[in-house]
Amino acid sequence: MQRTTEQPQLLPNYLRFGILPLQSPTKLAAMFIPLTEYLQQALGTPVQFVTAPSFSRYMSRVKQRDYDIIYLNPLTYTEARKAGYRVIVKVAQEPFTGILVVRKDGPIKDLDPQHLAAGLRLGFPDPNAFAATVMTRQYMENQGFDVNRQFHVHYFGSQDSALMALYSGLVDIIGTWRPSLRSMPAAVRKDLHIIAETPPQPQMPIAVRENMSKQDIQRIKNCLLSLTHTAQGRKALDALGFKNGFVQANDAEYLGVH
Amino acid sequence: MSTIAADTVEHNPAYPLLGANDTNIAGSDTELHWYATLRFRLIMSVALVHAILMGAFIWDAVTEQSNSIRAELQNRGHALSSLMAVATTNALLAEDIASLAEVIDRVYKQPDVTYGEVIDAQGNILASTNPARVGQRVAPRIRVSETMPLQPGDHVLDLRENIHVAGRDVGAVFIGLSTDNLDNALIATRNEGLLFIFIALLVGSLAAGALSFATTRNLHAMTMAVRRLTGGDLNVRVSAKGHDEVGLLARAFNAMVSSLQRTSYQVKIEHEKRTEAERLACVGELSASIAHEIRNPLSAIINSVNLLARDDLQQADHGQVMDIVNAESGRLQRILNDFLSFSRIPQSDMQPIELCRLVRDTVILLSNDPDLPGNVQIETRLPDTNCMGRMDMDQIRQVLMNLILNGVQAMPEGGKLTVEVVAAQEELNVRIIDTGIGIPDSLVDKVIRPFVTGRKNGTGLGLSIVQRILMQHGSKLNIVSHPNIGTEMSFSLKIA
Repeated sequence: MQRTTEQPQLLPNYLRFGILPLQSPTKLAAMFIPLTEYLQQALGTPVQFVTAPSFSRYMSRVKQRDYDIIYLNPLTYTEARKAGYRVIVKVAQEPFTGILVVRKDGPIKDLDPQHLAAGLRLGFPDPNAFAATVMTRQYMENQGFDVNRQFHVHYFGSQDSALMALYSGLVDIIGTWRPSLRSMPAAVRKDLHIIAETPPQPQMPIAVRENMSKQDIQRIKNCLLSLTHTAQGRKALDALGFKNGFVQANDAEYLGVH
Repeated sequence: MSTIAADTVEHNPAYPLLGANDTNIAGSDTELHWYATLRFRLIMSVALVHAILMGAFIWDAVTEQSNSIRAELQNRGHALSSLMAVATTNALLAEDIASLAEVIDRVYKQPDVTYGEVIDAQGNILASTNPARVGQRVAPRIRVSETMPLQPGDHVLDLRENIHVAGRDVGAVFIGLSTDNLDNALIATRNEGLLFIFIALLVGSLAAGALSFATTRNLHAMTMAVRRLTGGDLNVRVSAKGHDEVGLLARAFNAMVSSLQRTSYQVKIEHEKRTEAERLACVGELSASIAHEIRNPLSAIINSVNLLARDDLQQADHGQVMDIVNAESGRLQRILNDFLSFSRIPQSDMQPIELCRLVRDTVILLSNDPDLPGNVQIETRLPDTNCMGRMDMDQIRQVLMNLILNGVQAMPEGGKLTVEVVAAQEELNVRIIDTGIGIPDSLVDKVIRPFVTGRKNGTGLGLSIVQRILMQHGSKLNIVSHPNIGTEMSFSLKIA
């Protein structure tokens, strides 16, 4: 699948749209395939939805420039940028934050280091999940927790898995982000409770290979920015859960993300 | 089941009741061809019914089972491809080649699977049982799944299952299922069906054979009894212990034979009575004829002897009277000799004899007789072919001489006498034809009786002797005569 080259290229016979494996592949497909179809019609070129088995595999493919378009988090964008991708738009939505969630019927009601017992089970999707893992861990450290010593940390591979692990009682607290919590069924969602939220970071970006022609990059950018203008575009945004669509983004916003 | 066996109640000789033409049942005509026997037809009928019914049943069962096996393979293939599609969806979307390879590997281990592949929406092969194809972008193997039955020569059921996510096709899985095991199972099913048909045929035939044997065995016993009956054995009976149709037939047969036996006995008694009456009548008639025949010469002799005793008989008349005595005595002697010949005809000694030669010798013998009138011409018409016949040569010679002399004597004014032999298919026909005075119509039917003659000097025993000899040869004398035109006398003899 690798199609890397340093020279500017016209659009290939089809575009690969790589999605960061934030959730299960089928759930991501349900979210992003309407968008890929919209792009396909607007660009006149087939657009293929692709994700990866894990964050690391995804980033490995990003580094190999296996994708033409990528959707990732602010932290991983830093590495993608080094691999030759450039941000063109970002999600026009609420601030990009991580959240800590517990069961409503559990003993934990807030994130107070004085009241939390040692040895609690703490779950994350993936060590590289920016909002769910990196930002929430950073937040907890800032609150005075020694995460590795005070908690039994578990990684569940995806946002959904982590949420379902909490709902099932496999862990006591999980780190995740709001879009994933919103995607849960209402029956699950009503039993869960957010006890903390991290300070905001720049929203999730969409980047393209920088060696694509400027015209093609612009066409892709225009398509993404005009999603709210058409019925099909709004339909794609509904599937994504990004009702406000995308707005223009630039590198400078993400340079400070660590 | 009835049991019939030919039995003899008593062994008393009985008269044959049937004529020669009615005895075919005892001949070779009763030797049936094997395919014409009731047993064979019964076996064939049962076997045919078995074969048709079992064939139809087994054909239906085999067809149903075959369809079931095909449907099972197809359903299994669809289930496998559906399961494969579900199992590979996440890995396909995530391009998790290792997971896809693992799924493919597991699918490949399933029975009958010959290949498996997963392609993405762009036609890239992400996983295949043929590792060389992975990474290639090719046209899909098939657009839609195949259905059973497959085209001739196609032994792989190709199935396709599109992978749908959010209502869109994101890829497809392909699997091929070998139909070799299916074909073997169908062949085995068909062979089992044929075996069952054969077993049914065999069992049915054996059962039909046993049934037909039990039935025809009794009929065979009855056939034997009928043959004995045909041979004149009226004491034959069949054993009829059963209460079925064959037993009924056996009882009816016994009743019929008993009735025949009673009738035969009555006929025998009547025949003996009639024979005795005829014999007595014949004796009376013969006695009257003899008396009548000898009375006239005897009266002449008595009168002549009385004349000779008279003193006044002149010498010239004495000689004349003596001539009368001699003539009438000779006549009496001939009458008695002919009568003795008639009454003492010996049994015929049947031998193969060349009839034509006998005719020729007899004609020569008679032609040389000085008493034969010179105005009679004798002609023979004999065939060139062999004319061997079974006969008593001396008796037939006498027949020929009697008939030829009879013809010669019928032509006092001369004429032509023809002796003709014609060889037919099984007999030799002999005709003696004269051109004489003929026999009056009133005598034609009577001339073969003793002492009936149309000639003044005849004894009336010649043709009677001829008739008796011919009867001993199984023949008879036929006479056709027209007054003043001639007479034809004919008889036939069996060819040797």
